[in-house]
Amino acid sequence: MDQTDEQVRLLGEDGTLLQHDTYAADLSDAELCDLYRQLVVVRRIDVEGNNLQRQGQLGIWAPCLGQEAAQVGSARALRPDDFVFPSYREHGVMYVRVGMEVLSVLGLFRGATLSGWDPQRLKLGLYSIPIGTQALHAVGYAVGAKWDGAEVCAVAYFGDGATSEGDVSEAFNFAAVHSAPVVFFCQNNQWAISVPLAKQMAGPVYKRAFGFGFPGVQVDGNDVLAVYAVTKAAADRARDGGGPTLIEAITYRLGAHTTTDDPTRYRTADELDIWKAREPIGRYKAFLERAGLWTEELEADVQAEADRVAAEVRSTVESMPDPPLSDLVDHVYADPPATLRAQWRQLEEFEAQFQVEA
Amino acid sequence: MAEREFKLPDLGEGLTEGEVVRWLVAEGDAIVLNQPIVEVETAKAVVEIPAPYAGTVRKLHAAEGDTVDVGAPLISVDTGGGSASDGSAAEAAEPDPDAQLQATLVGPGERQQTRRRRIAGHARSANGPVQTAAPAPPAQRPKATPPVRRYARDRGVDLAALVGTGRDGRITREDVDGALDAAQPAAAAPARAPRERTEERIPVRGTRRQIAAAMTASAFSIPHVTEFLTVDATRLMELRERLRALPAADGLKLTPLAVVAKALCVAVRSYPLMNSSWDEEAGEIVVKGWVNLGIATDTPSGLLVPNIKDADTLGILDLAGELARLTDLARERKAAPADLTGGTITITNVGGFGVETGTPIINRPECAIVATGLIAPRPWVVDGQLAVRRLMTTSVSFDHRIVDGAYAARFLAHLRDLLEDPALLSAF
Amino acid sequence: MAQITMARALNTALRDAMEADDRVVLLGEDVGTLGGVFRITDGLLKDFGEQRVMDTPLAESAIMGVSIGLALRGYRPVCEMQFDGFSYPALDQIISHLAKYRNRSAGSQPMPVVCRIPYGGAIGAVEHHSESPETIYCHTAGLKVVTPSSAADAYSLLRQSIASDDPVIFLEPKRRYWAKQEVELPVETEPIGTARVLREGSDLTLVAYGPMVKVALDAAEAAQEEGVGSLEVIDLRSLVPLDEETLVASAARTGRMVVVHEAPQFLGMGAEVAARVTEAAFFHLEAPVLRCTGLDIPYPPARLEEAHLPGVDRVLWTVQRSLDF
Repeated sequence: MDQTDEQVRLLGEDGTLLQHDTYAADLSDAELCDLYRQLVVVRRIDVEGNNLQRQGQLGIWAPCLGQEAAQVGSARALRPDDFVFPSYREHGVMYVRVGMEVLSVLGLFRGATLSGWDPQRLKLGLYSIPIGTQALHAVGYAVGAKWDGAEVCAVAYFGDGATSEGDVSEAFNFAAVHSAPVVFFCQNNQWAISVPLAKQMAGPVYKRAFGFGFPGVQVDGNDVLAVYAVTKAAADRARDGGGPTLIEAITYRLGAHTTTDDPTRYRTADELDIWKAREPIGRYKAFLERAGLWTEELEADVQAEADRVAAEVRSTVESMPDPPLSDLVDHVYADPPATLRAQWRQLEEFEAQFQVEA
Repeated sequence: MAEREFKLPDLGEGLTEGEVVRWLVAEGDAIVLNQPIVEVETAKAVVEIPAPYAGTVRKLHAAEGDTVDVGAPLISVDTGGGSASDGSAAEAAEPDPDAQLQATLVGPGERQQTRRRRIAGHARSANGPVQTAAPAPPAQRPKATPPVRRYARDRGVDLAALVGTGRDGRITREDVDGALDAAQPAAAAPARAPRERTEERIPVRGTRRQIAAAMTASAFSIPHVTEFLTVDATRLMELRERLRALPAADGLKLTPLAVVAKALCVAVRSYPLMNSSWDEEAGEIVVKGWVNLGIATDTPSGLLVPNIKDADTLGILDLAGELARLTDLARERKAAPADLTGGTITITNVGGFGVETGTPIINRPECAIVATGLIAPRPWVVDGQLAVRRLMTTSVSFDHRIVDGAYAARFLAHLRDLLEDPALLSAF
Repeated sequence: MAQITMARALNTALRDAMEADDRVVLLGEDVGTLGGVFRITDGLLKDFGEQRVMDTPLAESAIMGVSIGLALRGYRPVCEMQFDGFSYPALDQIISHLAKYRNRSAGSQPMPVVCRIPYGGAIGAVEHHSESPETIYCHTAGLKVVTPSSAADAYSLLRQSIASDDPVIFLEPKRRYWAKQEVELPVETEPIGTARVLREGSDLTLVAYGPMVKVALDAAEAAQEEGVGSLEVIDLRSLVPLDEETLVASAARTGRMVVVHEAPQFLGMGAEVAARVTEAAFFHLEAPVLRCTGLDIPYPPARLEEAHLPGVDRVLWTVQRSLDF
């Protein structure tokens, strides 16, 4: 059900470059190498985040392990003015779009902030944990951008489970009716916590778009070049006034749902092994080798970069100060009610009575 | 050699403990950052924990099969120089490693509340004498609406002592007024021409409120008796003049009160019960081995009583200095809470306002308060002849639970003796 | 000066707001061509076009989610939930995002969205058309909740809500849509967060908002005529922010208070007012703060709604209980 003949691929499992009638990834050699760097760095960020949780530094971590190609390939296809609406696992998308600003998510996972970044500055909606709700935000943004005559598209990221939520269907419908310049990017990683695809839906995700009146395409989510090509086409189409596209990227959640989850309870080691063999970075490296672009030097540079980024992730977390008490009330309203201000004064008075015991 | 202790973190949403399934390293092994070191089984899953720092394993704090509480030590690692490290920048800048890695403070699970200690005295408002202790509540609370309750409380009327005449037996404002009037029955007023009556309502707040509460509590819980004695203060005044002329007294405001203060401290040595406290709960009289001398001070916001700590260790000049300092502070509302609490005996110089004597209310929980009156030339008998002497009436109100009239009288007489012949001050 | 209905006042407010700022856009079901099922948006499509007056698909969650997306794009959306009873699908977007976005973005991203909802009963409607869900919104920190009782306030409070950078749930008492008031528009009344003493009195304060304000005023009039007492009437006008100061001052003067609302008693606005006033004016109260409200039931069928809703008689009955205390 998940893998269809229509699935777009530009790389074989062994890294061979394939031809496709409609899609091609037109990237220079330098860009192709940079893509590798991004894939490796994203994985390192994810691994470091996971480790930090196990070491008690983060309260929780939602890994994107195995989904690097889907995130890096799609994010890479966007323009600076495009606006991204993530779910809560898009650390790879963030890294590609805003570089080291991805460190902003650490506050969320540590419990020091609630997302906390400026959406306008990063062109990135806040992480959205209520499943699928961000799809509607992307549609609203896209409609507004269209009204402004801006050559801009909005991208909503969500998973396979999210497509069962009403908001996602409402978003599809609304976008289609308004021909909104939005790309719906579904990372079908085959699991919604412990619920497998077969219990989640009866037909492939990408075909739903047709029901709502707009195109959908399925792509091999572990093929970073295919993901890039398909996303670029959809984004271009949106910006040109062609309306929405639904992209279903077939990938696999190699890690747990989050660090509080135990996947051994619901999936087999065999299945995991199958998908480990299909993981995207090794496959892309094979492509680079075949293309004569991979070198020891490239590998060393990329690993060094990954080490550097991982160290910065670690040091950011370990040195993160606790938020001040005033964060409780400072940002709730533009113009806070008198009752809230009085509550804060009362709390200050209360807190002043104490000194912390050593 | 930097040894760091890593405690078992909350591995997921409120876990309280984990069982060590398998150690992946041994004591003495060199380890790198993020290297898997142990498998721990929790209520939810078997979890592999990566090393939080690089170094040499010094101690494994639990054996395979042991259950470890979240927050308990798991492994200690020597991270000091030479051991394999991934060059993590974090290694260098660690302000307080164990506090930062205090795993129970991070994580979505239930946190240990940090214990906090209230800063002493901060929570209470600082002015005025010691607060009253609430009396034991009666079996059933008297019925009255909130406005009547406050009306009664502000006038020091105990609702429990009243019978309510309102609906359902509730106490009315009139009932409270009745209780107040009973103290002073109204005289029939002769018919007079009508006049316009205006009244000013002053809200009772702050210091006034506190004084009212303190006086009420003292007056209604301590059996007060007052005794009076007239003192020939002539020599006292002469001493004061001689002291004022001293270079050491330059710039010092040396009042007769300073000498009286000294005399009082000396007198208390011979009559220590005057410097004590009635402890109802313990059934004891607590005699204080030091004198913190309270000085009743009139300030713009009302009566405040700062006390001179360890007054019995000070000479007259120092007492004069302390007197001036504390009363100034009190008048400027800058007296610290510590200055206004902890007194053991009090003087009130009513003579400063031009009256001869008074029946002061004891500064609870002290035993006694001495009032000194106006010092003025008066006719007296000296050696059988009429003479004009400078006289001062002293009085002492005392707690009749602690001492009887005879004891207090002797104390007062002794004080008089010291004041009439100040040379005796060094004899006791 | 003319006699203006609340509906016309709301319509004018929307028009004036859209003329003043071209980032103000309207969305909702049937708001365009039809002009809204209550005609509140009548004529606006013609003058402002389809882009600014959008007939949306039948999808309340989408209406709110799209409004949020539009706000992120810099627009000031005024969306409509057609009826109180149909606003619930949008609750997730309202509670999870609309109320929280500013806080979650450390104050950098405002949500200048107004969500208009006709609410309340007494219109003989079939079920799901007469709800009073205000407590849900009041209890969601980050939202403001505003509710006019008259045409003048409808105009001014709506203009203020649209101008506010905070998200506002704007509750319109549908039973008062056609009530007229002598007023010249545009008009500026007190700011959001201010309650108004509509009628001064000395024996007891009636507190009401939205649809119950008229009932409270009628009850005060009747109380005077019948010699029951001199009742002060306060219109809350906004539930969040709540004007505690005006309420407490009034309670301190009169010593008695009754809160009137259509919403069920349990955890309704009356409970909040009672708690605050009791704490702040304890020693002035001759009786506890009482509440005259709807029952703790789902809204009943039309033929029973009169018994469920507070009317003049039940308000006066509650007033008497307070006076007799």
